[in-house]
Amino acid sequence: MIGSYFANGRLLRLCLKELRESLRDRRTLITLVLMPILVYPLLSMAMQRLIVGSASGSSDRSEYIIGVANEDAGGVLASAIAETSMAIEQGVRHSIQIRRNNQSLAKQPATIQDAIAGASEKDSADESNQTLGGSKAQFNIVVTDGITLQSALESGQIDLAVISARAESVAVRGNGFYPAYEFEVEFRDADVRSENAMLEFRKAMELVNDAQALRFRGPLPVSVRMVSTATGKKVDAMASLAGILPLILILMTITGAVYPAIDLTAGERERGTMEAMIATPAPRFLLLLSKYVAVVTVAVLTALANLFASWITLSIGGLGRALLGEKGFSLLALVQILPLLVIFAAFFSAILLAMCSFARSFKEAQAYLIPVMLVSLAPALVTLMPNIEFSTLLGIVPLVNILLLSRDIMTGSPQALPAFAAVFSTLLYAAAALVVASKLFGAESATSGSQETWSDLLRRPKRTQLLPDLGDLAVFLAMLFPVFFIVTNLFGQTQMSIGAKLWSNAGMLLVLFFVAPSIVAWYRRLNPQTTFLLRSWTGNLPQVRQRVVRGVGVLLSVCFMAAGLWIVAFEFLQLLKDYGFGLLALEQPEVLEKAKKEFALIPFWIILVTSAIVPAFAEEYFFRGYVLSAFRNRVSSLRAILYSALIFGLFHVITGSMLSLERFFPSTLLGLFLGFVAIRTGSLWPGVLLHAIHNGLVFWLTRFSTKELSDWFGSTNEHFPPIWIFASLASVTLGSALLYFITQRRFYENAT
Amino acid sequence: MIVANELRKQFSVRGNTLVAVGGISFQVGNSEVYGLLGPNGAGKTTTLRMVMGLIEPDSGWVEIGGVRTDTNRTAIRHQLGMISTNDGVYPWLSVREMLMYFADLYAVDPPVAQERLEELSDLLSIRSFLDQRCSTLSTGQKQRVTLARGLMHDPPVMLLDEPTRGLDVVGSQTVFEFIELLKSRGKSVLLSTHRLDEAERVCDRFGLLHHGTMRYEGTLGDLRQQTGKMHLVDMFIELIRES
Repeated sequence: MIGSYFANGRLLRLCLKELRESLRDRRTLITLVLMPILVYPLLSMAMQRLIVGSASGSSDRSEYIIGVANEDAGGVLASAIAETSMAIEQGVRHSIQIRRNNQSLAKQPATIQDAIAGASEKDSADESNQTLGGSKAQFNIVVTDGITLQSALESGQIDLAVISARAESVAVRGNGFYPAYEFEVEFRDADVRSENAMLEFRKAMELVNDAQALRFRGPLPVSVRMVSTATGKKVDAMASLAGILPLILILMTITGAVYPAIDLTAGERERGTMEAMIATPAPRFLLLLSKYVAVVTVAVLTALANLFASWITLSIGGLGRALLGEKGFSLLALVQILPLLVIFAAFFSAILLAMCSFARSFKEAQAYLIPVMLVSLAPALVTLMPNIEFSTLLGIVPLVNILLLSRDIMTGSPQALPAFAAVFSTLLYAAAALVVASKLFGAESATSGSQETWSDLLRRPKRTQLLPDLGDLAVFLAMLFPVFFIVTNLFGQTQMSIGAKLWSNAGMLLVLFFVAPSIVAWYRRLNPQTTFLLRSWTGNLPQVRQRVVRGVGVLLSVCFMAAGLWIVAFEFLQLLKDYGFGLLALEQPEVLEKAKKEFALIPFWIILVTSAIVPAFAEEYFFRGYVLSAFRNRVSSLRAILYSALIFGLFHVITGSMLSLERFFPSTLLGLFLGFVAIRTGSLWPGVLLHAIHNGLVFWLTRFSTKELSDWFGSTNEHFPPIWIFASLASVTLGSALLYFITQRRFYENAT
Repeated sequence: MIVANELRKQFSVRGNTLVAVGGISFQVGNSEVYGLLGPNGAGKTTTLRMVMGLIEPDSGWVEIGGVRTDTNRTAIRHQLGMISTNDGVYPWLSVREMLMYFADLYAVDPPVAQERLEELSDLLSIRSFLDQRCSTLSTGQKQRVTLARGLMHDPPVMLLDEPTRGLDVVGSQTVFEFIELLKSRGKSVLLSTHRLDEAERVCDRFGLLHHGTMRYEGTLGDLRQQTGKMHLVDMFIELIRES
């Protein structure tokens, strides 16, 4: 019956109706078209003024603080700056006047003289002031005590850091010895103040060059080597403006989604079309899905319009470079941010629909939404703080994660693990919110007179359920993933002994993958036999002999599969590596060797229990029990295996505080086989055995050095010899085929 | 064919139990118009919603065409049409788009839906504004669109919830003609209304509800015999006086 809604492009037409309804509405069009056209030019004008204001302020009265490591360097620097003033005295005025049309130079020679006098008096003092001729740029030299130059520079205490300062005496054509300066100066990248300080300093030194060129008729250059801090950390107020753009983009995306979300839910109720729609046989989830597609589409269109408008504004005005550094708002960043906005739109639209689904009128929906928007804005504003770093843990905070990731993409320094966490968790939250929305959607009109919509969601069923609800799974995953992520991260960072880490990791797996789903199963009255496949793998065969044959056959085939699978998985990883999909662990052999040594000290039974048996049981219980069963509730077994394997793979990408993307593929592959075993045998236990043998083998091999292993397997490079690969493939195929045949009922009918 | 058997529904409002419908049974045959009558709050709408499957009865059951509604709700909904006073239209869709949308919601094949649209545009005289946005329609035109919407999937059973409320004489007349049309096509019509004079005109049989229970049931002749009154209005006044 539901199938007929997917036929003849019906679903598409349902979505089109919702789109028509919202796109024909003038109010949607205003946020979609008019806002971006107005907002960005206005914003850019305001920004330009701000920047021009701050820039002119800096050229009028600039005082720059130059940090030096010690007093010797300070002395060299002070005398070099003093030479600038001497240069002015000795008639370099002409060149200065060409350089800048500056009247203050002629008017205020006394000031300069005084400044030089002052400088020469306290040449070895901790702080000396030099006024650069021709401008009022002033350099204060500071010896950084206690902290390193780098950290002083990064924290903004100093504007420039002179890493090394040398003055070498050079003989100049019989005129005696004169100093040739050599400086290595570090400044903050993409920081207007620090960059200005750098420019002024270089100008000052060029002035000295000009003076020396006049005096000695030959260049005696001051060598200034510039180093920019390429840490990617944005520490000043100006660079934090880079955080504003994502915030504006996200806010505009939200604004774009809000109106259609209200209109297509509460609006429909207000107009009196909701009940007629709910009364049709069309499944509610489908109705909501079509509305969801429309809201996301409008939100994405809004995002596109805004992204494009902001890109044009930033590119034309040159504002982009001022805000985001040399490259400005690159097209690449634009292409990277767009999918982020799409993901965010998917997430926020689901939240909006869930909020609006039980509002009876436009007004009510707005009353619900405004607090939500304000509450979500508070953490969003935090991302504007200059020193906030996109840490791994922030990766799972909705909204904040997308904001910080966009900021990092714009400034060109995104990191893999938080990025993955941000994208994956946001998608999970979106799915969960959509499930909640579909359960709330239209519920009010069904239970008129009572307000049980929220409690309906958590109602405990009266009868035992055979399989878990797919919606429950989405909500459960959305809660499980952040917890899993945080705990795994904490383990990766804490300084525990390896033994303690192993035990606590096993404990975590048991709590998250065994205890937590068990509680859900108890609450939802799930039958443990059908949900978690807690039953014998011998099937309901009538004769004892048949049961023995099937039981032994299954175990045998699983052993065959386990014997080959780990090699197949390993070769898979190596192949990925060969094609440039790097293995983090192997790129750091010394770390690996150290871990291996520590590992070798641990009794093997502990490793076996904590890394093979417990994970095998807990993960099978969750992924082949709960997850696979929830999918089986809705889709065919084949698809259920595929989806559960993908989720299994995604969870394995997170290891400690690292992101091992390459692990996704072998883990998914393993998940496919484990799903196959679970479905064919109808039992959890053969999969647990396969999983445990697989893990056990892998960990057993880590007890040997790489050399031992390559001697063992007769391998000369990082691959297994072809004969091994071939044998393991054969073993996996044989095991799978055997399992397939032995779990067929026909097999026994023919045999007897 | 509708069979309702001992329908019962109570709501809890702030801790108090309110019996909306307390055990109602009735039958509506094919080509028959059954009037569910009663003052406001008698339980008419709740009964209709239970027949519709929008709310689940606490006890009792409904059969549509011989199939219990609680066994296969989706299949039952294909058999049912519902039109109520509160029904609105989509302001930004054209009449054609809106009717075709509901055809899709009822999984009617597009060619069939197209045919039905043609037929209904003549029957309900909506052809002249088929491609007009619904927001531009007059109240009477909107009413006709709503009536057409209820027939896009050609259901054998039609539920009408106060279909004439807020309509003028012309609008009401359209509804009466619509009911005649339904009857002539062999459909079972369940009509809930508090306009007793109207009910007398169009209904074949009546059920008089008061405080959630069925007080009198039968044809106008049966009711006259039972109550000794000529008109439904008088019967009602008596009912209300008794309580």
